[in-house]
Amino acid sequence: MHRRHLRLGLGALIAVLSLMVAGTATSAPQKVTAGTVTFGAEQEPPCLNGFLEGCNNTWTSWTAGIALRGLYIVKPNFTLAPDMGSARIVSRKPFTLVATIKKNAKWSDGKQVTADDLIFTWQTIVNPKWEIAGRSGWDSLSRVKKLSAKSVRLTFKQPYAPWKVMLSTSVLPKHALQGENFNEVWNNNYNNKSGATMATGPYKLAGYTKGQSLTMVKNPAFYGRKPSIDRITFRFITQTNSEIQAIRGGEVDAIYPQPQLELAALRGQSGLRIQSKAGSTLEHLDINAGKGNSNPLLAQRWFRQAIANSLDRQGMVRQLFRTLNPRLPVLQNVTYTNQQPQYKAHFQRYARNLQRVNSIMTSHGCRKGGDGIWACGGNRASVRLGTTAGNRLRELAVEILQAQGKSAGFEFKPDSQPSRLFFPRLSEANYDIALFAWVGTGDPAGQVDIYGCGGGSNWKGYCNRTVTNMLRRSDAALNAAQRARLVNSADVLLANDAITIPLYQKPTYFVYKSRLRGAVDNPTLQGPTWNTEAWRVG
Amino acid sequence: MLTYVLRRILYSIPVLFAASVLIFVSVNAIGDPLAALRQNPLVSEVTINSIKERKHLDDPLPVQYAYWVKDAVTNKFGTPLLQPGQRIWDDLKRVIPHTLQLVLLSEIIALFVGISIGVYSAVRQYSPFDYAATTLSFVGFALPVFWLALMLQVLFTNLFLKWHVRIFYTSGLSSEDVHGLHFVVDRLQHLALPVMTLTILSIAQYSRFMRASMLEVINSDYVRTARAKGLVERRVTLRHALRNALIPLVTISALQFGALIGGAVITETIFQLDGMGPYFLGNLFNQDAYAVMAWLMITATAVILFNLIADVAYGYIDPRIRYE
Repeated sequence: MHRRHLRLGLGALIAVLSLMVAGTATSAPQKVTAGTVTFGAEQEPPCLNGFLEGCNNTWTSWTAGIALRGLYIVKPNFTLAPDMGSARIVSRKPFTLVATIKKNAKWSDGKQVTADDLIFTWQTIVNPKWEIAGRSGWDSLSRVKKLSAKSVRLTFKQPYAPWKVMLSTSVLPKHALQGENFNEVWNNNYNNKSGATMATGPYKLAGYTKGQSLTMVKNPAFYGRKPSIDRITFRFITQTNSEIQAIRGGEVDAIYPQPQLELAALRGQSGLRIQSKAGSTLEHLDINAGKGNSNPLLAQRWFRQAIANSLDRQGMVRQLFRTLNPRLPVLQNVTYTNQQPQYKAHFQRYARNLQRVNSIMTSHGCRKGGDGIWACGGNRASVRLGTTAGNRLRELAVEILQAQGKSAGFEFKPDSQPSRLFFPRLSEANYDIALFAWVGTGDPAGQVDIYGCGGGSNWKGYCNRTVTNMLRRSDAALNAAQRARLVNSADVLLANDAITIPLYQKPTYFVYKSRLRGAVDNPTLQGPTWNTEAWRVG
Repeated sequence: MLTYVLRRILYSIPVLFAASVLIFVSVNAIGDPLAALRQNPLVSEVTINSIKERKHLDDPLPVQYAYWVKDAVTNKFGTPLLQPGQRIWDDLKRVIPHTLQLVLLSEIIALFVGISIGVYSAVRQYSPFDYAATTLSFVGFALPVFWLALMLQVLFTNLFLKWHVRIFYTSGLSSEDVHGLHFVVDRLQHLALPVMTLTILSIAQYSRFMRASMLEVINSDYVRTARAKGLVERRVTLRHALRNALIPLVTISALQFGALIGGAVITETIFQLDGMGPYFLGNLFNQDAYAVMAWLMITATAVILFNLIADVAYGYIDPRIRYE
C-alpha cells in the first residue's frame, strides 16, 4: 500500500475517533431533567392495542397504555378506586349499575369522553370479529342503556361481583374507531381518523420506533393532576444485565426488571432508589391429586399435609430474596394477597415441623427406608417436582425444596422443562408437584376455574364441592364482607386439603434515579407507571 | 465474467427452492405451529380457527408450502401467526439495515486490522510482534462472545461513573432526538461496543489466516524472482505477495459476511440492537413459525449471494482464474 494511502487511512481513522470524542464532550451524561424521563422497559409490547390477544401484555399497558384510562384504577394496596368515573349499584335483581364518567374527562383531541364511548367499548369487546383477550364481565351484560351524555345503565345477566375490575378497562373513543378494523387499527399508534393521537391519560403517544423506543408526551387535556414531566421515553432493554448497566451508567432513569439475583448489585449504588413490594404474581406449588401423577399417595390428603409440613417456606423465601427484598413475607393464602385487608394466613399451619411429619406418616403405616425416604404400603414417598427451566429463581427454589424434603423423608425428583413444554404438561395433568404462578388482579373472581370441580384450569384433579360452591357464590356476592367470608372459608378448606401450597408473591423491583420524585411502585397489574402524573424531578 | 455471474444466479434458483423446501419441512416437523397459542389462555378458539384458515393449516403440507411460497413472493412473506395486521416484511425491512450497519463496520475494521497484523507477522516471522500477535489471536479465539460483550458493558459503565464522560453507550441503537451529524456520532457511539465484540474474534481469525497465507506465498519462486529483479521489499510484499495471499481470505470473509447477515445473535441481543438476531430469537421464543421461516429464507439468500460474491472476487484477484 502506498505510504500516502496509509497516511490518509490513518488520518481518516483519527478524524472519526476525534468526532466520537467530540461527541462525548457535547453529550452530557444522561440525567433526569425537568423535561424528560427515560424508562428502561424490559419488554417491547408485541403491539400497542392491549385489548387484542396477541398484544395483551403488561408492558403494553405500562408504556403506551398509560394514554388510556378506565373508570376505575387499581391502587398499590390492591383496592380499586374511582378514576375517570365511577359506578353505583342501583339494583340487585337484576344486577344493575349506573356508571358515570367525570365531567372534565376529555380526549386529547378535545372531544368529551361520553356514554357513547363506554357503550362503544362494550360493543367492541363483545364483538366476535375482534380477537379480544378478555371479555369477562362485558359478556355478562344483558342490556346497556345511555342515560345521559355521561352516564350509562349496565344490566347484567347475573350478579357480577368483580364489576369494578371490569370497569377498570380502558375506555375507547367511538368517534375515532367506529367503522375501523379493530384487529389492526391501533396496532402501532392510537390515532383518530385525522391522524391525531388519542388519549385520556396524563400522557399521549408521540412516537414509536419498533425495536427501540416509545415516547409519550404530556396530555394537556388530562382530567387529573397536571403532569410535571414533559416527556417519558420507554427504551426497550430486554436483557437484565443491559438494564443494570443502563441504570448504573445513567442511560436510563428508571427500570422495572423481573427480580433477578444480579439486581442486588444496585443496592449499593449512590443516586439510586429502590422500591420492592410483594407483587401480584403468586408463586405456589400445585399438587396433582388426580390421574396423571406418578404416585397414588398424592391423592391422600394426609400425604399432602405431611409434604406441606416438611417445607420451610419462610427459610426458602429468605434464601431466595435476602439480597433483593429481605422483608418479603411468605404467602399464606391462595385467594388474597398479603396487602389486602381480607387476607388471612390460613396456610400458616404449614410451617416446617418434622415431628408432625413423622406423626402423620407413621400413623398411616409409613416407615423410612434405608435411604431415609418414607415408604407407605409399597409406595415410596418419591414424587416429581418441576418448574419452568431457565427461570433461575424457580430452579433455585426447587433445589431448596428438594433439600428440605429429603431431610424430612421425601424424595422430590427434578422434573423441570422449558415453559413451552412444561405448561402443556400441566394442562394434561402430567405432573406430580409443579411450581409456577398465577397472576392475580387482587380480585378473587375466577378462582372457581382453578379450584372448582371441573374448572378449566383445575389440572390437579381436585374436587371439593363445598369449595366449589363457596367460590361460585362469591363471584356473585355483591356484599364485600359476605364475599370475603365466602372466599376465606373456601381458603380454609383449601388449606386443609393442601392441594396447593402458596409460597410467595414475586417481588417487584422498581429502580430509579433519586432525583425522580413521586414515583410509587404499584405491585398490581397497574404497574410502576400508574401515577406518572405525580412524577417530578427535584 | 458476466455470463458466469448470470449462470451462477440461475443456478441459485434451484438452490433457493431446495432451501425453501428444507426450511418449510423442518420447521413444520417440529410440531403444531399453533401449539403455543393453544396453551395461551388469552387466545380464543375463534382466533385459533381464524389463524388455521388464514394460513391454510388444515390443508396437506404441500398445499401449505405452496401458499407459503405464494405469500413469500407476492405478499413479502405475509403476516405473522398472531397479528394479522402486521407484515413480516415490515419487521425484516427494519432490522436488516441495523444488522448490516453492525456487520459492515465490524468486517471492514476486522479485515483492515487483521490483514495488517497478518502481513506484518508473516514478514517479521518469529519477531516479538509475531509472538505477541499469535498469543493475542489465541486469546481472541478463546474469548466467549457473550462474556466479552458483558465485560465491555461493565467496563464502560464503570468508566462513566469514574470520569462522568460518556465514551460509548452500553445498549441500544441511538439516543432520542438526535439529528444530522450528531445522529451519526451518536450511532457510532452506540455501535462501538458491539463492533468491538465482533471484531476481536474476526481480527484473531483473519490475522491467523493472513499470516499463514502470506508465509506460503512469501517464499515462493515468483516472489524470489521479484526480489532478484531488484524490486523494493515493500513492493514485493504488498503488490506481489499480498495479492495472492488475499485469495483464501476473500473467500472466508465473504462467507463470514453472509453468515453474519443472519445476525450476530448474541451480540445484538446483549447490546439490545434491533437487528436480525433479536428478531429471530424473539420469534423463536414466541414460536411464530412464519416469521422464523422468513428469517431463514433471508439468511439462506444472503449466504448464496455472498458465495457468489466470493467466487467473483476470487476471479478478480487471481487473474489466472477465468470463468467461462
